[in-house]
Amino acid sequence: MKAIRFFRLHLNVWSIMSIIFTLLIISPTLSIFIQIFEKPNENWYHIQEFLLKNYIQNTLVIVFFTGFFSVMIGVSLAWLVTAYRFPLRNFFKWGLILPLAIPPYIGAYTYHGILNYTGVVQATLRNQFDIKANHAYFDIMNIPGAIFIFTIFLYPYVYIITRAYLEQQSASLVENARLLGSGPVQLFFRVIMPISRTAIVGGVSLVVLEVLNDYGVVSYFGIQVFTTAIFQAWFGMSDVASAIKLAGILMAIVFAILFLEKVLRGRKKYSYSNAKVRPLEPISLSREKTAVLFVYTALIFTIGFVIPFVQLFQWMLLTFEKVASEEFLTLIFNSVYVSLIAASLIMVIALVIGNFTRLSDGAWAKAVSRITVLGYSIPGAVIAIGVLTFFLWIDRQLKGVYHAMGIEAPIILSLSIIMLLFAYVSRFLAIGFNPIDSGFDKIGRSFTEASRLLGIPLTRTFFKVDLPMIRGAVFGGFTLAFIEVMKELPLTLLLQPFNFYTLATKAFQYANDERIYEAALASMLIILISGVSIFIFHKVLEKENR
Amino acid sequence: MYVEINGLTFSYRNAKEKTIQDASIAIEKGEIITILGQSGSGKSTILRLIAGLEMPESGTIKINGQIMTDDATFVSPEKRGVGMVFQDYALFPHMTVAANIKFGLKKMNRYERDARLKEVIDLVGLTGFEKRYPYELSGGQQQRVALARAMAPNPSLIMFDEPFSNLDADLQIKIRDELRDILKKAGITSIFVTHDQEDARAIADRVIMMDHGHIMKTGTPDLILT
Repeated sequence: MKAIRFFRLHLNVWSIMSIIFTLLIISPTLSIFIQIFEKPNENWYHIQEFLLKNYIQNTLVIVFFTGFFSVMIGVSLAWLVTAYRFPLRNFFKWGLILPLAIPPYIGAYTYHGILNYTGVVQATLRNQFDIKANHAYFDIMNIPGAIFIFTIFLYPYVYIITRAYLEQQSASLVENARLLGSGPVQLFFRVIMPISRTAIVGGVSLVVLEVLNDYGVVSYFGIQVFTTAIFQAWFGMSDVASAIKLAGILMAIVFAILFLEKVLRGRKKYSYSNAKVRPLEPISLSREKTAVLFVYTALIFTIGFVIPFVQLFQWMLLTFEKVASEEFLTLIFNSVYVSLIAASLIMVIALVIGNFTRLSDGAWAKAVSRITVLGYSIPGAVIAIGVLTFFLWIDRQLKGVYHAMGIEAPIILSLSIIMLLFAYVSRFLAIGFNPIDSGFDKIGRSFTEASRLLGIPLTRTFFKVDLPMIRGAVFGGFTLAFIEVMKELPLTLLLQPFNFYTLATKAFQYANDERIYEAALASMLIILISGVSIFIFHKVLEKENR
Repeated sequence: MYVEINGLTFSYRNAKEKTIQDASIAIEKGEIITILGQSGSGKSTILRLIAGLEMPESGTIKINGQIMTDDATFVSPEKRGVGMVFQDYALFPHMTVAANIKFGLKKMNRYERDARLKEVIDLVGLTGFEKRYPYELSGGQQQRVALARAMAPNPSLIMFDEPFSNLDADLQIKIRDELRDILKKAGITSIFVTHDQEDARAIADRVIMMDHGHIMKTGTPDLILT
């Protein structure tokens, strides 16, 4: 009897749809887990014996050093901007985030274009100063080069989170340390770094996940890591089984990192929620020190944003007439079109799941919301492999059905754009879900309860009360999801239907064909759109959350 | 009895103790009841159980002879015909005062709705404020809108969760006297939840004292309050 009552209360459109969506989203990942233990083929033995060690080693080296340098740059900038006065401080506060608008793969071929034999640096040295320097000095297509690219375009993750954290810290903490005789260097390493630990770990784990997700930089630089190996196994050798095994190992590495993050973060909460804390006021330094500070900050900003931006701008002007054709318009249309559909799907699903998880506090609701955000940690290439095998399986089942019905297959899912959209949704659902979740969190349940007590059922309440109240979050989430889809590279490269390109994949293709100049227009568009994303994330959503 | 609650037991997920233990309450039609208790005594939970916002582990709730909850039945909150004024009022911020009040009047036609709006807004003394938005009103006015909204659909029972906790002290005294008059005039059965003895004394026909999920005492204010 009680069970019937329970289901009557909990089974509704929202819970049923949420569970279906969640099962769909998790099935590609599960299909990797299941197939990872299948009997390996000959290819795999070869990979295991000769290549795997190299993949692991390269991946770990890049991850470790990128993490290390990102922390050094990100935390030091966060601290300097918070604690000291120097010229253009307010500008740099936001400006230092801008390198994030340049996806690392675009940064990679831009810097390669600047530094190669025909690039501006070597050409100037040769023509103006008659210096013929050793090419090797300018070669960045190696592991240190990749570390440089990742660091300079990803450090803002550490910077943003650490700065937000430091801004909420009490001034007395730092003042006490100063009174106790800490010099500035000692203060930084012995007080600031340790107290910011949770923030730093949060930021650096985002950096690491981005690095593991990357395919563009490493493949352009010809470095052997997991993502490139997955592409090779699949495109080079049509060996899906080995691709799955590689994806499985990469996923295991990601889970290890997520676990490590949890451990390192410790139990400490992110910030004081107490509004009474007197915030840290920046202090003035001597002229010389201020100058050093300014130069350091300006240097990072220049390398991370100004140089690549200006260079791309110049290339764009050079090739604009050639590139900006009807074909390019089709490209933009394609990009916008898939991004709009994907972002809409993401928001609808995020709203359904968000509304379900907030209204029920059972363990299954918690599990659903965990799974929803999991996709964002899993590298695009891994999701792509999972989605592909999942759709191949569905196609096989459908083939039987079609055969039994005696009709031609009306659509082959694994060759269609449906598969790409499905993959986007599972990878970026978290982007839409998080703003929705915090939006719901902010309005609480009492409006919904009030509406239901006034006789309005759950679903009508959602449209009349809940949805209008979180429309800001819906708008923000939609825009962020739209932009993320538009920028996405590895997953799109693996799953795009024949003759279908987005801005990102086209730019990458140009660059890969050594037509870097022609990649500039698409790259600039991506950077501008990413800039909008950053602006929305930090201005609009931040305001919303206050 | 108009409202009959028998052997109600409830605990929140992950809670060690029962929030409500074997509570039984009977209320007559038109009576004003106050549930008095410290925070954590389970008094607000009783309201949520009556409203159908939580499901009890065991026990029955009957309103006007109809079973709302027992082992086999669970009437969803939108079908109970119960009104509630929330502690934070929960006025829909994107709707005007008029839209808020008319929100629950879905079974009426437009003329009936407008007439009912005029009636209740007059009752709470807010005529002329129909076009305002909740954030343009003072705390006391917001509360009266919340009351008007809860009363508009003619609920069989109206419940108040700490209705005075967000008001200034002198406003509190004025409003609770007004509120009693309004409720008595309309003859609505009401349940108030409060931690304040003075509130209970001023407004209640009968007081129920709760502690740690148990009902300790029941009786008129004079009898129970010292």
